[in-house]
Amino acid sequence: MSGGVELVRAAGLSKHFGGIFANDAVEFTVEEGDLIGLIGPNGSGKTTLINMLTGHLMPDGGEVILRGRRVSGRPAHFFAAMGVARTFQLTQLFGRMTVLENMLVPGLTRPHSHWHAVEKRARDYLEFLNLAQVASLNAKNLSGGQQRLLELGRCLMLDPAVLFLDEPFAGVHPQLRDELLKRIQELHQSGRTFVVVDHDMESILRISRRLVVMARGRKIADGPPDAVRTDQAVLAAYAGL
Amino acid sequence: MMSWDYLFIQSANGAVIGVIYALIAVGVTLIFSILKIVNFAHGDLYMLGGYCAYYVITLFGVPPLAAMFVSMMALFVLAIILERTLLTPLYSDATERKDEYGLIVTFGLAFFLRNMAIIVFGPFPLKPPSFVPGVVRIGNLIVTNDRLFAGVVGIALILALLYFMQRTIWGQALDAVSQSRESAAIVGINTQRFNSFAFGVGAALAAAAGALIAPIFSLAPDMGVLPNIQAYVIVILGGMGSVVGSILAGVVLGETESLFTAFLPDATRALAYTNAFGVLVLMAVLIFRPTGLFGRRHLRME
Amino acid sequence: MRGLHVYILLAVAAVALACVDQLNSYWMHVAIIAMFYGILAASWSLLAGYAGLFSLGHMAFASVGGYTSALLVKWYGIPIPLGMAAGIAMCCLLGGVVGWVCLRMSGPYLAIFTLGFAEIIRITFSTEDDVTAGMAGLHTEPLFHTVSRLPYFYTSFALLAASLAIMGWIVRSRWGLFLRAIREDEQAAAASGIAVARFRILVFAIASGFAGLAGVFYAHYIPILTPSLGGLDLMAVLVVMTVIGGMERLPTAVGGAFAVEFLLELLREYGQWRLPIFGVILLVTMRFARNGLLTPIWLRFVRLGEPRSAAPPVARDAGQEDSRA
Repeated sequence: MSGGVELVRAAGLSKHFGGIFANDAVEFTVEEGDLIGLIGPNGSGKTTLINMLTGHLMPDGGEVILRGRRVSGRPAHFFAAMGVARTFQLTQLFGRMTVLENMLVPGLTRPHSHWHAVEKRARDYLEFLNLAQVASLNAKNLSGGQQRLLELGRCLMLDPAVLFLDEPFAGVHPQLRDELLKRIQELHQSGRTFVVVDHDMESILRISRRLVVMARGRKIADGPPDAVRTDQAVLAAYAGL
Repeated sequence: MMSWDYLFIQSANGAVIGVIYALIAVGVTLIFSILKIVNFAHGDLYMLGGYCAYYVITLFGVPPLAAMFVSMMALFVLAIILERTLLTPLYSDATERKDEYGLIVTFGLAFFLRNMAIIVFGPFPLKPPSFVPGVVRIGNLIVTNDRLFAGVVGIALILALLYFMQRTIWGQALDAVSQSRESAAIVGINTQRFNSFAFGVGAALAAAAGALIAPIFSLAPDMGVLPNIQAYVIVILGGMGSVVGSILAGVVLGETESLFTAFLPDATRALAYTNAFGVLVLMAVLIFRPTGLFGRRHLRME
Repeated sequence: MRGLHVYILLAVAAVALACVDQLNSYWMHVAIIAMFYGILAASWSLLAGYAGLFSLGHMAFASVGGYTSALLVKWYGIPIPLGMAAGIAMCCLLGGVVGWVCLRMSGPYLAIFTLGFAEIIRITFSTEDDVTAGMAGLHTEPLFHTVSRLPYFYTSFALLAASLAIMGWIVRSRWGLFLRAIREDEQAAAASGIAVARFRILVFAIASGFAGLAGVFYAHYIPILTPSLGGLDLMAVLVVMTVIGGMERLPTAVGGAFAVEFLLELLREYGQWRLPIFGVILLVTMRFARNGLLTPIWLRFVRLGEPRSAAPPVARDAGQEDSRA
């Protein structure tokens, strides 16, 4: 939409589980500088799409293309190394490692990274995320909202070009949600690309420049929020719930 | 040229062993489905069942078949006690890495039981009196009555278990919980109590197997080590979580082992490698199908 | 001062080395065996405690290493150190293969598979007795032709120290973090850029190599080698030692090995009762102090000499306990 560099592309991606198409020939492009809201009713295949675009799931059909390279079938860590970061629906942290260690891990997987430099970056990000005071706590002892922020922090340590956030606002109380939104916007302004999946329409609409709607494994709309919100197919999909 | 008679005998033996394996394996399957742990101590429960029957017969003069039932009840109670004391952390959210906890605790329990057995029962093999003394002649063949008896009673127990799981309320609940914990809880089944019950049932079946096999192969404190491994072979072949699969796989393994022994020329090697055979099958299956042949895919606990 | 605990440990080690010739042959043997188990416990802790791979085949690797070295020396007359190197290399290779084969297996399945592996090794070594002398026992070349066990003591001490130095370095480096991350959450580890498969294979190879190291030393120390070295009984003892001490840290694992080995000797008059007693201790430890009995002591020890107000560096469990069962 913005005519920028194409970072991630889903080219006719399909995935089926026992006869049901979780994703059916989905075409979807993420360009540099995008802030995309990926929405759709439950079971429309959003998480499956993200899993395929981040290397956690093998597509059954179609290709995943990163910066022009075909990468389907590569393991997840390869995607991470190429600058594709993601969070999970249920936060998946290294529970019995400290907050700081959680941040160090992704940072230290970067080639040519030095511990001191990585630790400095980690602490800077923790400041940014308001987590500096809990740096020595085990991740499992954080509150739910803090855990989500930490997951975001872990993504940032990968120095990612694009971040896929899977339901970052689920179960998060409003104050923290606003904080999260603010951080995402700040990061977006400093040049990071985001794809955010969530059911919290208010939040999605606040930040998204572009909405992509999925229903029953297919992409049914892709465009600026105003256009998409009045799209007949979209309304039908949600109404048919 | 191998005689048909010999083959027939081996097959018959294989069937009996298979039934015994099935009894043990079904217990492991139930415990895995319901408590979500692999019970490393199962072979030692089998061993204890055998010894319990032996002492009930020799100390109290109880007839062998009744002794088997006494042993089943005793192990049922023991299993519940063990479950209440050792396994309750599995149901608490505070416990992490439940897989590992179940592994280490049952492994430790096995270690404890095996070494206690050496002290209490002595390291030398013991043999209880026969269930039904004598042999049966079929033409030229001789089959000991005990083997026949073990086979018949074993089959009866398995059928009883299947009936129980299909037709009675407790049994159906057991079946339900083994398939889906969450749905069972929604329906109102007290899953905690069911864990104890399942552990007890599994132990009782193992005890029966031990009591049945004792007059045939005699008792020793380490008699449970190999059947334990065979049980994993069976359960992984038949699928962790599938009771019927375990039964079928148990019989198949028993038969295959017996026939394997029959066909291998070198007798001493044959015996040693018979045990390895099951293990090799196990390893091969795990390599190609890390979730077993028919198993449902609930590998992880949480 | 920081690192006081290290100085204390070094001092204890120095004193031990200086006074060792005061020990009679029997207790020296016990100490040597304790150090043998120390290497095994530390390497098993690396595998099971750090990477979360609960392998029951660890003693089998010691056995493979021992037999490889002993047989090569016996048949081809190669010098013992060369045989030992070959034994260790064999274990690294085999360990890597096992690690690769087990890639898709989780917890219990991995345990069962490695148990099967250990049994196959044991049965094969036992049955092929024209090669291995089976249960009768293989007579092995001793490392030193001395009456005193002293050279063996120094050797095992050096091997243990070297092993701990290497494993300790791994554990404190980024790879230590990666292994722990793999144990915590494999999927999140992959999403963080960790090549999980590669690490699982490597840690298996490395841990098995150390098991092989222990095994080759044992083979050329104890005059007779039997297949029961790789059997379930000794593996169970190893698990007991490591878990009671604390399987998630190298020092507590080694401490557990030392403690259990010395207690086994001290309680020798209780004969068969020793093993069930330790079985109970294991069960109680798992139930009430899952991190291991030595872990709180070690954590306290590590803080000795640190000023109260200092914020701990990137340390594990800084200020908190791991959750208990």
